[in-house]
Amino acid sequence: MPILSVSGLSFSIGDHQILKNISFDVDEGEVIGLIGPNGSGKTTLFNVLSGFLKPISGTVHLRGKDITRAIPSKRAQMGIGRVFQNFGIFREMTLEENVLVALESLSKDQRGELGDLKEVVKGTLEMAGLTQFAKQKAGSLSGGQMRLLEMSRTFKTGKDLFLLDEPTAGVSPKMTHQISDLITGLKKSGKTALVIEHDLPFIGKICDKVIVLDVGEIVLHGKPSEVQKSKELQEIYFGADPTT
Amino acid sequence: MQLLANALIAGSLAALIAGGLALVYGTLGVFNLALGQMVLIGGYVTWWLHQSLGLPLTVSIIGGLVTGSLVSWLTFELFINPFYKRHRFLPLVTTISLSMILDAVILLLFEERPLSILPGAKHMLEIAGVRIGQEHIILILLTILLLAIFAYVLHSTPFGRKIRAVVQNDHAAMSLGIRAFAMHRLIFILSGVLAACGGIFIGIDHSLTPVLGFPLTIKAYAAVIAGGKGNFWGAIVCAYLIALLEQLAIGIHWFGAFYIPAGYQQTVALLVIIIFLLFRPDGIFGSSSRAA
Repeated sequence: MPILSVSGLSFSIGDHQILKNISFDVDEGEVIGLIGPNGSGKTTLFNVLSGFLKPISGTVHLRGKDITRAIPSKRAQMGIGRVFQNFGIFREMTLEENVLVALESLSKDQRGELGDLKEVVKGTLEMAGLTQFAKQKAGSLSGGQMRLLEMSRTFKTGKDLFLLDEPTAGVSPKMTHQISDLITGLKKSGKTALVIEHDLPFIGKICDKVIVLDVGEIVLHGKPSEVQKSKELQEIYFGADPTT
Repeated sequence: MQLLANALIAGSLAALIAGGLALVYGTLGVFNLALGQMVLIGGYVTWWLHQSLGLPLTVSIIGGLVTGSLVSWLTFELFINPFYKRHRFLPLVTTISLSMILDAVILLLFEERPLSILPGAKHMLEIAGVRIGQEHIILILLTILLLAIFAYVLHSTPFGRKIRAVVQNDHAAMSLGIRAFAMHRLIFILSGVLAACGGIFIGIDHSLTPVLGFPLTIKAYAAVIAGGKGNFWGAIVCAYLIALLEQLAIGIHWFGAFYIPAGYQQTVALLVIIIFLLFRPDGIFGSSSRAA
């Protein structure tokens, strides 16, 4: 059974249809890249999957359970973790508090499985390479550091499926490497992720499959090597095949 | 020194009301223009229980606080919740309507005459040349105790951290599993309880009149705007600062000859709003993000 199953999903605002009949499955342990030009509906799809937007038709199943009408906090408790394009951190809280509040939001059983929360906080900041800033406010970090904090926090809170919205956007090459390592570590531990990215080599490096969205529709679906060679992808991004 | 003591009394009252308002603005991003009337309801119900029904003061105060929480809960369910997710400015209109309804109800039930929860002369003390009532000292200390409890809950408990998370980034909070909408409701009710505390404070400090509602709302908004919209501690500090400004404005003979009549005291808060919106819209303690 796929961990995530999306079927016939459509979303519109007024007369403007943003997602059109989207269907795909994600198997456990897969890392899937979601690419497409700006305005193709990638972040909207993430907002529908994480419950911030309600679809006009279609269904979303998590481990076979229909979550189409579930609120965002319920989906998070069921195992969906989200990393936001515009930093999902609490800027006026310290780095320690940013991690602690995430752990405290888990169910009692989930917290019990993690053990001593102070140790988990310490481990999370070590994972992000931000231990020395533990007592600082998160708002004082650079963009890349904020991203590392958010990703490590999401990865450490026992989620099963991660929605990562442009994790390398506005991040230095060094930190892109660190983020890539985090996602690779996630994959090795058998977790599942959907990653929105514009960086095709990055997608090729970390993803098992790629879904290409254009004007709210899935236009390509396959392995990164196949999709990257596709003339359709060139046309979507550049308007025409640059080789012809 | 006497001006400082007066500012401490007036500031404590304003801090209670503005603190709750700052939390509501920080989490829901909405304006509650019926706040002043919610303050009065807490005070009037306490007066009614104590003076009309003859219940003990403590029981009457609890009654006032319970009524304040019920009124704020109903306000949230009927005038805020159906509207604020559609547009954050809609509750501005709905709560103006509510303030008018509540003004009429208060006037109908309690009439125009001033009503005091503890009528009669205050037990005055003289400390270092400052005259202050025993009741005032108790009210100031209770306000400080309440704010200290708030500080502890907000900064040292899981519940407080979740409130601050929702205030600072509600989408991120929801994606961690925090039930942000339930928090919104709870914070609104909490602000109603703080408002009711303010009403009881007024009723004990001097007296309640139906016309106080709107000036109280304006004063609380001045503190919230000056403190940085949604910044709980900024609003508290600015509530005390504005109270001090008011006392300085009417309590000093400027250049030894001129004085500002006491009736103009309310305009200080309005001036603070105008000056901050013009020159420092993020407030004294404001940053690009909301804070609690």
